[in-house]
Amino acid sequence: MPKPEEYSETHTTLAGWPITITTYRLDTIYYTTIDNTDPGAWVVKAQGATKAESESKATAQAQALLEKIKKNPPPTGCTSVPGF
Amino acid sequence: MAVQTSAPPSTRQAVLVTTDWAAQNLANTSTIRFVEVDVDTKAYTEGHVPNAVGWAWDTQLCDTLRRDIVSKQKLEQLLSVSGITNQTTIVLYGDNNNWFAAWAFWQLKVYGHQDVRLMDGGRKKWIAEGRELTTQVPTFPRATYQANAPEISLRAFLPEVMKASSEHSRQLVDVRSSQEFTGEILAPPGLPETCQRGGHIPGAKNIPWGKACNEDGTFKSAEELRALYTGAGITGEKPVIAYCRIGERSSHTWFVLKYLLGYQNVKNYDGSWTEWGNLVAAPIEKP
Repeated sequence: MPKPEEYSETHTTLAGWPITITTYRLDTIYYTTIDNTDPGAWVVKAQGATKAESESKATAQAQALLEKIKKNPPPTGCTSVPGF
Repeated sequence: MAVQTSAPPSTRQAVLVTTDWAAQNLANTSTIRFVEVDVDTKAYTEGHVPNAVGWAWDTQLCDTLRRDIVSKQKLEQLLSVSGITNQTTIVLYGDNNNWFAAWAFWQLKVYGHQDVRLMDGGRKKWIAEGRELTTQVPTFPRATYQANAPEISLRAFLPEVMKASSEHSRQLVDVRSSQEFTGEILAPPGLPETCQRGGHIPGAKNIPWGKACNEDGTFKSAEELRALYTGAGITGEKPVIAYCRIGERSSHTWFVLKYLLGYQNVKNYDGSWTEWGNLVAAPIEKP
């Protein structure tokens, strides 16, 4: 039964967002997942014949996704509705 | 009411197994069933713990018609075809430090399964340690599973959360990221924005779920967890309701508070921000 090898985690920033790139090799395939660190949900995943190929594919996908995220204006105060 | 302290070691051991323990017990399929539940529902097919079955949170652990947890009947079917009896020890694990494994844990407790545990560190730790993975999907003889009626004391619904917020009768813990809590973003970066408004439920404390984990994905020690939550005023003296965006991250915190810290009255509000943040005229706080 195969065992994952060459496990690595890289913490970096992409499109202004902190991300974690996780890669491992299983048999001859490299698997990469990029998560958004906070809160840690996976954003994209990719595979490749080399670590560089796998991470490059995943990074390109994540970049496209993360660039689209809208940030709302800074909070200004409580907006409670009385009587709810 | 006395302050509830951390759960005794025996409780922690009853709900958590190490990856070492898991590796030593993989072959014991007569009394133990390993189950992988991931955020990324395709991860299981890429390779999983030998003899583990895979459950998909978005089709098998929820009602696919209305928004709700899995029904009693559907859960019974799922467990039965997984070869799980009421006496089976279920060991759950998954990606993202056991997000949806905790979601499955919560639902299994809602339906009264006695012996459910999480593999500490989840899929991440198993892979990082270079342990065996397989793509072979195991099959087990069908069992007959009888679930209990849902235990609603583990689950918070909207009216109770409204009351908790307005009367401060219960403590609300928002386990999302600080940027979601403040309303700067509506969803975790890269995930769909499924609510109309940003912010948080008035009165909630923000303690992101991930603060309960070590770098390797395992849960922090009881002492560290106690310091984290009591430091934010979540002592267990008052009932606690945890919420996030859709209820899975808050299942993780619910597990920590109830089983690792031993708080007696903890509920998961699975409606979470995708319910509250879409309500017309609901009060929203943006600190």
